[in-house]
Amino acid sequence: MITVALDSAGAAAAGEWIRAANPTHPSLIDVHYEVATRYNMVNVPTAVWIDEEGRIVRPNEVAFADNRWIEYTKFDMTRYLAAVRDWVAKGPESAFVRPTGERRKRLPLPTAEHALAAANFRLAEHLHTAGLPEVAVPFFKTAQRLHPESWCYKRQAWALTDAEKYYGTSFQKEVKALGGRPYYTPLDFPDERAHP
Amino acid sequence: MNAIVLSGDAETAVRDAAAEGESLWLSPGDLARATGWEWKPEGLCRGTACVPAPQGAAAADWARGTGKDLRVNLTRLARHLGQPVVASPEHGVWAVGEASEDVGDRLRSLEAPDFTLPDLEGRRHSRSDFRGRKVFLLAWASW
Repeated sequence: MITVALDSAGAAAAGEWIRAANPTHPSLIDVHYEVATRYNMVNVPTAVWIDEEGRIVRPNEVAFADNRWIEYTKFDMTRYLAAVRDWVAKGPESAFVRPTGERRKRLPLPTAEHALAAANFRLAEHLHTAGLPEVAVPFFKTAQRLHPESWCYKRQAWALTDAEKYYGTSFQKEVKALGGRPYYTPLDFPDERAHP
Repeated sequence: MNAIVLSGDAETAVRDAAAEGESLWLSPGDLARATGWEWKPEGLCRGTACVPAPQGAAAADWARGTGKDLRVNLTRLARHLGQPVVASPEHGVWAVGEASEDVGDRLRSLEAPDFTLPDLEGRRHSRSDFRGRKVFLLAWASW
């Protein structure tokens, strides 16, 4: 298990959570969203299953430890934890390990716009941290516009400042604007495929 | 002028840079420090990969001057490689991203992208340290 905190403010933001959890696994802090960029992650929590050879077994998917966010996930996370245990026990024989072709189809491949969004975000978080928060805002906005599916770019930028003042919005307003569309991409589980 | 080049988790301060709009002209030494690309007679090289030196009219857009006055256009090079460049010239900061093709090709290989990040005590860990073990990688955030 490796956890990665996507947090521009680093230990100042993520530290208290890590100390409270007191984890025995590596609990890392990703100030520059390198993991989000390389795996093209658009929200948290996002899990990736990686096998002993370093290959992706299940690409990016929502993964909570319990059901407190079930209104957002629309999925019983006790089933997800059972799936993780199944994989740990059975390895490649687990029903939750998909054929490589299926895995590739689920990969969130970045477009040129996504790459440009990542560069805008990198510049924005640098400017913000360098004490130029108002200079950073237009670059955060450009990142959000170029990669509108990324809740990371939205929520990180909002968290750094007064979201209503600088972005004219809030998390609650944006979720409402989804109008019933899912906040998280639905999980790809065998039962879901058999009974769509 | 002084400038800062952001690339991945690296942040490289450069001197004797010259900016024209989004173009950032660097000495070959600063270019290598900031990006890993070296200016050689056969072109621009990083490791074993080389991009041929441009010829003719395009050449002036890539490099100018000779000897210690040689300057290379970081922005032109990066965009030639498909890497996005975003700048705030008035604050002297340039961000160079990864090419979407490179990120996509790596993902399509299903080889889990590596990374090296610090924990709360500053100890650095890499995904590749866990070869031979299953990894459940979980990204979260305080926001």
